[in-house]
Amino acid sequence: MGGHDATGSGFNLHYLELFGESNVDPYLHFQTSIAIGKDGVELEEVFVDTLALPGNLLVKAGKFLSDFGRANPTHPHVWSFADQPLMLGKFFGADGNRAVGAQVGWLLPLPWFVEAKLAAQQADNACCNRSMLGDAPRPVQAADDLQYTGTLRTFAPLNDDWSLYVGASAQAGPNPLVMGLGTQIVGGDLYLRWRPVADAERRSVSLQIEHARRQRDLGSQSLVDQAGYAQIVAMVAQRWEVGWRSEWATGVAGDPLNPEWTSTRTRHAAQATFYPSHFSRIRLQVSRDQPGWLNEPVYGALLMVESVVGAHGSHGY
Amino acid sequence: MMFLRSMLIAASLATLLAALPALAAHPRVVATLPTLAQLAREVAGGDADVEALLAPNQDPHYADAKPSLVIALNRADLLLFNGLDLEVGWLPALVRQARNPKLLPGAAGAFDASRYVQKLRVPTSVDRAQGDIHPGGNPHFSWDPRAGAAIAEGLATALGQLDPEHAAAYRQRGAGLAQQLRALAAEERQKFAALPAAQRQVAVYHDSLVYLLDWLGLQQVATIEPRPGIPPDPAHLAKVVGQLKAARVPALLQEEYYPRNASDQVARLTGAKLAVLPAGPRGPTDYARYVRALAAAIYAVQAGK
Repeated sequence: MGGHDATGSGFNLHYLELFGESNVDPYLHFQTSIAIGKDGVELEEVFVDTLALPGNLLVKAGKFLSDFGRANPTHPHVWSFADQPLMLGKFFGADGNRAVGAQVGWLLPLPWFVEAKLAAQQADNACCNRSMLGDAPRPVQAADDLQYTGTLRTFAPLNDDWSLYVGASAQAGPNPLVMGLGTQIVGGDLYLRWRPVADAERRSVSLQIEHARRQRDLGSQSLVDQAGYAQIVAMVAQRWEVGWRSEWATGVAGDPLNPEWTSTRTRHAAQATFYPSHFSRIRLQVSRDQPGWLNEPVYGALLMVESVVGAHGSHGY
Repeated sequence: MMFLRSMLIAASLATLLAALPALAAHPRVVATLPTLAQLAREVAGGDADVEALLAPNQDPHYADAKPSLVIALNRADLLLFNGLDLEVGWLPALVRQARNPKLLPGAAGAFDASRYVQKLRVPTSVDRAQGDIHPGGNPHFSWDPRAGAAIAEGLATALGQLDPEHAAAYRQRGAGLAQQLRALAAEERQKFAALPAAQRQVAVYHDSLVYLLDWLGLQQVATIEPRPGIPPDPAHLAKVVGQLKAARVPALLQEEYYPRNASDQVARLTGAKLAVLPAGPRGPTDYARYVRALAAAIYAVQAGK
């Protein structure tokens, strides 16, 4: 499902990511992420974003991952599991939802954190092949030939140790079978984290839930399906992390845009990770995948080694 | 309709509430570490508002980039940060999200405290095989009163530029504090110098006390972490125990946010006394009292009291 998932048994080289970022001048910041994997070299993200716009605005332009939910805007080196959530592969495609376009983000002038974002992006290419135009591009002649993503996100520091981050996302764009914004996806996400600030072992427990509903108008009929996941990840000691993820995704029989996915699929995964240092990790993940269109579940086990070199980057929340 | 109207009224009130502090003339200082915030409060007197992003018992290497911190940075006139990459894991992302050009690198509101400090342990080569080292030098200077004095003077100038009306008051408070801290530093150093050489030896958990030890004239004989950021294995601990026994090292020091197991074990096996140091000031205190209390806690274990 995911472009960075292991594709076969035996040894797999997921990918090599080259990441770069820098301020361009007092007005712009630049960031890029280039992946070298089994399909060759791919420019995953390259964009500039503003540093000094008035009115609490931040504009981003280039090729970037859309801010739909929590998992989509992230890269694999910050994932808590070795593979991409099913919902991203199902609704957006192997590489998640990313495309060339522009985004405006507004930090609302409130005493607590509320951020609203609206993006317009190309709806073609691999980014959108599950819901939008995908590999059937057509020239942009009207506003509804693009895909639009809106996000509203708020954060509540419940106390020093507990935090709650919630978001709502909506996306609309054209699909190859009808004119206009024929595909709509709406979703919600929640991230509840417990991390005692004074804990010497740096223990934490994070619960993350995402769910989305997609509707595709195909002229004569409308296809509706849903997908999501819930995961709990715990740092149980300074170098040890464990996690559990349960996923669900419904299917529609006779789906002309997604013919292989005809019924509900569930997947469960457990992982244990050892961090030799802040810059490397070794992860063992086991999973049970039950696509409704197969008679037997598929069991998997994966041992992953991941490392980061170069300047220490800064992490988002 | 009623719901929409209520939402609109709530949003307008919230906007008004958010705008209210902007009416106050006081510059707003946001400091990453509570220790730096304490220095800023004393230089600012009542002429600027100061808040810290982190809790005093929090490890600044591994703070979460909580979005709530974006709000503080969005409204700040001056960001006082430690520098030397101590906050590199979380601060740059927050500053970008804050949409506040006053805090960008090179702007008048970006106050890098490390620029005012005589740096120690600047590595001649940088390789991650050496552990999580900081290429610009050891960043843990905020509890060295000599560094505190230099930062106070620098802050007084920076605040004076932001708020010229109170420049003289900032300068006076900064100079007074710097003088007090330099006198305190000399006095404490003299006190430690009176200890026999063997009692001026010390072991530490993380390589983060170099400025403190340099100030007090103490010699770091061993480090519990084999390399910065790498927890000790039994073989390394056995080596540390051997070193401490051979040199008759009386004391072992660590900050409160590091794990205690290894230090407790080494202390038990060697007879060295362990002092767990508060990473930042808390309660009603001032910077001088905080660092004097640190020195007193260290003196107690060095002198075997």
